[in-house]
Amino acid sequence: MDPQGSKNIVASPEPEPIIRPGHTFETVTDKISAIVLSRGTTPGWAFGLLIGFSLLMLLNLVVTLLMVKGVGIWGIRVPTAWGFAIVNFVWWIGIGHAGTLISAILLLLHQKWRTSINRFAEAMTIFAVMCAGMFPLLHMGRPWLFFYLMPYPNPMWLWPQFRSPLVWDVFAVSTYFTVSLLFWFVGLIPDLATLRDRAKHPAVKTIYGIFSLGWRGSAVHWSRYEMASLLLAGLATPLVVSVHTVVSLDFASSLIPGWHSTIFPPYFVAGAIYSGFAMVLTLAIPIRSVYHLEDLVTDRHLDIMAKVMLATGIIVAYGYATETFMAFYSGSETERFMMMNRLAGPYAGLYWMLIACNIVIPQLLWIRRVRRSIAFLFVISLVVNVGMWLERFVIVVISLHRDFIPSSWGMYYPTKWDWATYAGTFGLFITMFFLFIRFLPMISIVEVRSLVHETNEEKSHS
Amino acid sequence: MSSVDTAQVRIGRAQKRALALGVVGFLVAVILGWTASQKAGAVAWQAFVQSYIFAYVFWVAIPLGCLAILMLHHLTGGWWGLPIRRILEAGSRTLLLMGVLFIPILAGLSRLYSWARPEVVKDDVLLQHKLWYLTTRFFTLRAVIYFAIWVILASFLNRWSAEQDRTGDRRFKDRMEALAGPGLVLWGLTVTGAAIDWVMSLDPHWYSTIYGMIFMVIGCLAAMSFSVVVLSRLSDSEPLMDCVQPKRFLDIGNLMLAFVMLWTYMSFSQFLIIWSGNLRSEIPWYQQRVFGKWAPIAVTLLVLHFFVPFLLLLQRGVKRRLHVLSRVAGLLLVLTLVDIYWLLVPSYETLAPQFRLLDIFAVMGIGGVWLAAFLGQLKKLPLLPLHDPRFEGVLEHGHGD
Repeated sequence: MDPQGSKNIVASPEPEPIIRPGHTFETVTDKISAIVLSRGTTPGWAFGLLIGFSLLMLLNLVVTLLMVKGVGIWGIRVPTAWGFAIVNFVWWIGIGHAGTLISAILLLLHQKWRTSINRFAEAMTIFAVMCAGMFPLLHMGRPWLFFYLMPYPNPMWLWPQFRSPLVWDVFAVSTYFTVSLLFWFVGLIPDLATLRDRAKHPAVKTIYGIFSLGWRGSAVHWSRYEMASLLLAGLATPLVVSVHTVVSLDFASSLIPGWHSTIFPPYFVAGAIYSGFAMVLTLAIPIRSVYHLEDLVTDRHLDIMAKVMLATGIIVAYGYATETFMAFYSGSETERFMMMNRLAGPYAGLYWMLIACNIVIPQLLWIRRVRRSIAFLFVISLVVNVGMWLERFVIVVISLHRDFIPSSWGMYYPTKWDWATYAGTFGLFITMFFLFIRFLPMISIVEVRSLVHETNEEKSHS
Repeated sequence: MSSVDTAQVRIGRAQKRALALGVVGFLVAVILGWTASQKAGAVAWQAFVQSYIFAYVFWVAIPLGCLAILMLHHLTGGWWGLPIRRILEAGSRTLLLMGVLFIPILAGLSRLYSWARPEVVKDDVLLQHKLWYLTTRFFTLRAVIYFAIWVILASFLNRWSAEQDRTGDRRFKDRMEALAGPGLVLWGLTVTGAAIDWVMSLDPHWYSTIYGMIFMVIGCLAAMSFSVVVLSRLSDSEPLMDCVQPKRFLDIGNLMLAFVMLWTYMSFSQFLIIWSGNLRSEIPWYQQRVFGKWAPIAVTLLVLHFFVPFLLLLQRGVKRRLHVLSRVAGLLLVLTLVDIYWLLVPSYETLAPQFRLLDIFAVMGIGGVWLAAFLGQLKKLPLLPLHDPRFEGVLEHGHGD
């Protein structure tokens, strides 16, 4: 290697390129748009959609039954009035956070590697928030009266209790959904225009044409696009923290042992990012191999995401450790009992499974070989998804089922309709996601093109 | 060449001044402490150790933060670390001295902590529940373990960094990177332990799970601010001059902004949760600090530790100019001192803040000695890591121009 070249390598903070070399603007555009325009509907895709759609119909069934019979079809009974619905709400909304982190915070931090994964991570965010949002609505029992949660002048003098974090949740989640959707759509506009220009069929051309809002790629368009992206990124950044902070306050501002804990806000946010990155990996690994996107979503991407998972997982572990320590340090009988009930109570098996899934197994990610092994990463990402679901179950159910007064203790058993609702939201998620990969470019053509441009620039400099 | 000498000479001069200040501060503090002990009804040396621990916690936060940011820098490898790395390293090398300076606290345990007084524990059921953790022997053992971990981490990082300077071997970068991950985990656990042991147990009935994290952020913010202040004092000397570029300070300023926001986020989370819970075991802590006579200090913290630096650090103009940024950093350092005062002192000065000369001289005493040690470490090595593979391109570029 010539001295000039080696100097360039040491000066560069990146040890290996983000996307595989050899791409030009044309190959990038061809590769990504072909998935939508010329690949056509494959049997594999149709089968996946069929599974998703069947589950979505199951959701339809459950929701209908729920409307007819009420929330009693679920396993929620006093004292455990918050069962699967809240567990799943927190789980789904946590998953969304990785998308926002990747698209907003990493944009502000100039992390170039985000460009290949931000589009589908954002899509994941939107669909996950849709799934999440359904649960509190259904859990209300009379979802058609949800607008009571909104502050609006009405003859009943009904006004939300603004001191309750549950009300803040309404605003946090709806803002989150709106901003994420806007962000996603604004990012899509130039790509939609590319698809419009490349589409052959007039109807397809028209549909993409409508949604690309008359994008012509003029300098003014680009400058406004850049400005809008930056502003939306700035708006979305606090949302990464605020949404899950408010969710954590739903618990922490109460008095239930196991909920009333000051570490909840940062620990919930870390947990959300943890589960979100696990879900991005769960989605990215199969997608990139099915659609042969290995040179755009490279092993380096997976490695970085694994590292983020490891770091946030350690913060989560720190959260468990302090909770356990404080329960015994506090000298409070109820705190100590809550912790003993977690460690050795009727749901202890789930607690230890949670420790295995969220703390023990992910420590394998310290090893570089594991981070570079697709199979290992995929399995660990699934394990973490399960672990984070168990965490919410442990927090919601174990804390509620035995609180201060032994005479009002009880057990919580989810019914088949609980499981069906949960599976149904998977149906919604899978259906939306399959439609997304079929009809929209799942990787941002524009941003990857600019990445190719920069990579080539760097090469020409050396 | 001569400018290198000037930097060393200047550091040497500052070191002498700091040492003089420290010795004077210590002496006056001891005399004041002795006079306070002579008053009727006073416990011997109690006032002294109370002031001492307040000053100590402030000054130990800086080297601890230096250690964390150093590891963060090795782990993430941003270029922002280049100009401040030697400052952080010198800071981390003072941890052994801080271990020695911890001895007066160990000697005055029963004067500081009510759990260390058997006659108090005898009548307090809650404290009896905590005897498995809060005992003099276990407390001492833990402190020894914390310092051992910090000193070992710091010595490895510093040794490899010095070796890297000498040989330019790439291996040392990899080693530092490999140590930084587990090192940060250990750091987080030990700092949490220290925060609980040394500070939270001043109010042995009170507990809060976020407390350790708050102290981690305090340390990082203090170290970052301190580094910026030192950097701006030395920025006109070789070889720092070469790498003082606005681009790099933008990142440093952004990190400071992040820590300011984190501090606010954590402190406010703790407040909101305890306030809405309004439990007898928790709320007294805030009744003193926020709703009682300590309220003006709480408001000062809100305004000067959050709003003012937050709004200033949002501006690029502030972050790009080192001398402006260092003013903000100075403000944050002073406010960190106020914050620690507000966290610690109400535990024994329960009703209202009282102006005590002893506090000032204790801060001056420990601070002077610590600063002298820091500056002594700082002048041992060149002010920039010369052979870090991550920075070579930058430096050569600077010289080439």
